Amino acid sequence: MIEVNPQDYDIVLKIKDESDIAVSRQMAKNFAQKMNFSLADVTKIATAVSELARNIYRYAKEGYIYIRKKEAGPEKATTIEILACDRGPGIENVELAVSGGYTTSERSLGLGLAGIRRLMDSFHIESEVGKGTAVIVEKRRRAF
Amino acid sequence: MKSKVVPTIKLYDYLLVPIQIELDDNTVERLQMQILHEIHENDVRGIIIDVSMVDVIDSYISFVLSETAGMAKAMGCHTVLCGIQPQVALTLAQMGIRLKDIITARSLEDAIDILDELD
Repeated sequence: MIEVNPQDYDIVLKIKDESDIAVSRQMAKNFAQKMNFSLADVTKIATAVSELARNIYRYAKEGYIYIRKKEAGPEKATTIEILACDRGPGIENVELAVSGGYTTSERSLGLGLAGIRRLMDSFHIESEVGKGTAVIVEKRRRAF
Repeated sequence: MKSKVVPTIKLYDYLLVPIQIELDDNTVERLQMQILHEIHENDVRGIIIDVSMVDVIDSYISFVLSETAGMAKAMGCHTVLCGIQPQVALTLAQMGIRLKDIITARSLEDAIDILDELD
């Protein structure tokens, strides 16, 4: 699994209550606004973080979301990176979980992971059954 | 019934639900129960949910709103969602979320016109 040093990040959020989902969404929104993302991208980022936080709460009970600003690629594009990780049950069939419309939860559309992938520029997932799940997503700031 | 999550307004035969608070999972679930109770108690023919102040609607909130509309439908009541912000519409569409059982309207006036024309 991914090794994380919390000191490398601007925001560290512990998810252990249902209310932490809304808190993480607000924090991500404020941070993306501060980074001067467009309103549309701020909304996409906040929505993606909301989905990630809910997945942690729903399937792993607790975990962390790390957020940082960085310069990515040769053109040093300003980018937001979000890492969500937990030591939960892991995902048996990652491909299926990411494909959309599939869920193991009763009250769900099964669009969380697939939706996050569509909203962000890059999407990386690592999951091991019995060990946990880590999702890393990024979004570059567009010139506008 | 416990205190209301969202203060609602009865307008003609309709129930106006203006959401002006942050929707966390617990709040949206309580709102669902509140709406169903109010349909039952107030003889409502249509619900208008105004989300013009809501700046994030994720998959679970969408799911509960659609589910509420489905339940309202079972009680003989249409549900109209109005005032979705452009960036929220963009996000929902990109995620592939469809608001099942929900009629959408541009504004509150538009929502009332739509409900007036139904049945």
